Amino acid sequence: MLEKGLFKKPNNPLEIHEKAVDAQQPSIPEEMCVSCPSCKETLFANELEENLSVCHSCGHHFRIGARQRIDIMLDPDTFTEFYGHMVSTNILRFPEYEKKLQKAADASGEKEAVVCGTGRIGGFSVAVFAMDHLFMMGSMGTVVGEKITRIFEYATENRLPVVGFTVSGGARMQEGILSLMQMAKTSAAVKRHSDAGNLYITVLTDPTSGGVTASFAMEGDVIVSEPKAFIGFAGPVVIEQTMRQKLPEGFQRAELLLEKGFVDDIVKRRDLKAYLARLLDLHRRGT
Amino acid sequence: MFSKMLVANRGEIAVRIIRACKEMGVSTVAVFSEADRDALHVSLADESICIGPAAVQESYLNMTSIISAAVMTGAQAIHPGYGLLSENARFADLCEKCNIVFIGPPADVITRMGDKDAARQAMEEAGVPVIPGSGIVSGVIEAKEEAERIGYPLIIKARSGGGGRGIRVVEDSAGFENAFMIAAAEAQGAFGDGAVYLEKYLSPAKHIEMQMLCDHHGNVVCLGERECSIQRKNQKLLEESPSPAVTPEVRERMTKVSVKAARAVKYRNAGTIEYLFDKDGNFYFMEMNTRLQVEHTVTEKVTGIDLVKWQIRIAAGLELAFSQEDIGIKGHAIECRINSENPSLNFRPSSGKVSLLHIPGGPWVRFDTALYQDYVVPPFYDSMIGKLIVHAPTREEAIRKMQAALCELVIEGVDHNSELQMEILSDEDFSAGNYYTDFMAKRG
Repeated sequence: MLEKGLFKKPNNPLEIHEKAVDAQQPSIPEEMCVSCPSCKETLFANELEENLSVCHSCGHHFRIGARQRIDIMLDPDTFTEFYGHMVSTNILRFPEYEKKLQKAADASGEKEAVVCGTGRIGGFSVAVFAMDHLFMMGSMGTVVGEKITRIFEYATENRLPVVGFTVSGGARMQEGILSLMQMAKTSAAVKRHSDAGNLYITVLTDPTSGGVTASFAMEGDVIVSEPKAFIGFAGPVVIEQTMRQKLPEGFQRAELLLEKGFVDDIVKRRDLKAYLARLLDLHRRGT
Repeated sequence: MFSKMLVANRGEIAVRIIRACKEMGVSTVAVFSEADRDALHVSLADESICIGPAAVQESYLNMTSIISAAVMTGAQAIHPGYGLLSENARFADLCEKCNIVFIGPPADVITRMGDKDAARQAMEEAGVPVIPGSGIVSGVIEAKEEAERIGYPLIIKARSGGGGRGIRVVEDSAGFENAFMIAAAEAQGAFGDGAVYLEKYLSPAKHIEMQMLCDHHGNVVCLGERECSIQRKNQKLLEESPSPAVTPEVRERMTKVSVKAARAVKYRNAGTIEYLFDKDGNFYFMEMNTRLQVEHTVTEKVTGIDLVKWQIRIAAGLELAFSQEDIGIKGHAIECRINSENPSLNFRPSSGKVSLLHIPGGPWVRFDTALYQDYVVPPFYDSMIGKLIVHAPTREEAIRKMQAALCELVIEGVDHNSELQMEILSDEDFSAGNYYTDFMAKRG
């Protein structure tokens, strides 16, 4: 068809004028765009946030922080934070732990990997906890365990349902056995809350694993998950190397867990608030 | 001045903009879809970048690709042409964030004028006559009440509509409820916004629009009117300037009102204010188009002002070199849109290889197109493949010139509508200037 270079470039100098815009060079501000890890589509950060951090193109659910989670799920201006002052210390003098904690705090803007409090969902009063993946991947140390235990104790006392949003890499290795003990402690608190006839809903988000899966994350009366969330105890690499066999496709994903009965339902983030409100309504306590 | 500019469009308008840049010494970057590899604008530009597959959603409307292309090539400005991203406030905003000059008004002006209801209110506040109508009507009961107040016939319009879509005429109260429900549902489906409002239906009426140029130094100039009443299904077919119905007194009044309106909304760059013009010479604001129009060419002919070049200069911060007093309307210009469709087969779109092309010539004849011999017209895009424009001292002479030029236009290989255009030009009512927006519908 038309060959390259068919048309000559005219020998016209640039129209002159006193104001120079030549200094201006186009550039894309780094924070403006995000690439979807699932479909590789380029997304605008502000639009992604407006869409609850779900990819417009493929529906991939991005991980979101505890505060954003609470903002999205709770009725506006109803959240009151509890135990916000609690911070971890380096009890075992684990090397570099202080530095890690500082980094996690800087990255997440939180003091610990879980945010607890009370609020309303669809008008129903709830006690709520939301974990934050930006704080050491939501790992559970003594403070996380203690905060979750306390929110259950508060909810038992005040006859409130608990709604918990989990995201965690598991127990925090920097606190060793003390981290593992949180599994028993939180589970005991969940049990007492349950024995008193209260509802507990867990929302598993990507990823929920390790000691958190092995304790309070899987102890909900109703367990829902966000689509395609990784849910498991040990990671797939560890399992493959121990078992010396290839794992099936979709292993440790929410969809497979739903099929096998570990998860009760998979709910998209956009529908989650209404879904939780409906559950809370159905399980409303007689007064 | 910008040393390099990206043209975010295709077809004749991309070619038109690239030509302006070549005159101004501005380097050009063309963007194209996979279906447009062989398009003229791609060859004419200094650089070209493929931005995606044939579907416009994935290419010419793909903001990330286009912005990336601009950043990669170092283009300091983007000209959006008409259609596509030209009235997309989000895109204008993105350009600004990326340090790229969007050649058009600021994003907030696009947003306000794009919301038909807000635009109407802004105009009313600025003292521009608007068609009697309602604000957004939410339910069928409220709508019905408003309808009775305004009186029939009336039109139901979608707030987010445009390009002739989202409009419904209601003749009397019997058909109103039904029409209202359908209009709201259609608007929701087509624009994702079900909000509609009502307007008195003026019939017969002319579609007359005023061309505005506003720089960043507070200068606002109106470049006279264009009459665009020859429309089929709300798509313009033939435009002329000046309008045979507008007297110098009326023109002065419309100019004054339009300048006031543009100032009131803090308009920048080129824009068009559309009016409905009734038999008695009353005019009412319809909407403002915040971009270059297809039919800008007739204004260029009668005013001698290159609108595209001025768009670029204004965007670069230059002050207008003329004021309202310097604007004179010389002679008469007509534009015929050449569409690749077959009027005798219910305007069936046509595509394919242009096996023979002859472009009309001679003095004061202009043909804006992206066609060339052996070019294959792709089936994916707008059917307009060219614009034939003539300029003459009088309207009568312009019609004669257009008739002659249309006969000289040969495009073999694809169907087109030049014969229909000739019929329109020979119509008695058209020759007398006595035609309204129902002209095509009445012809049948």
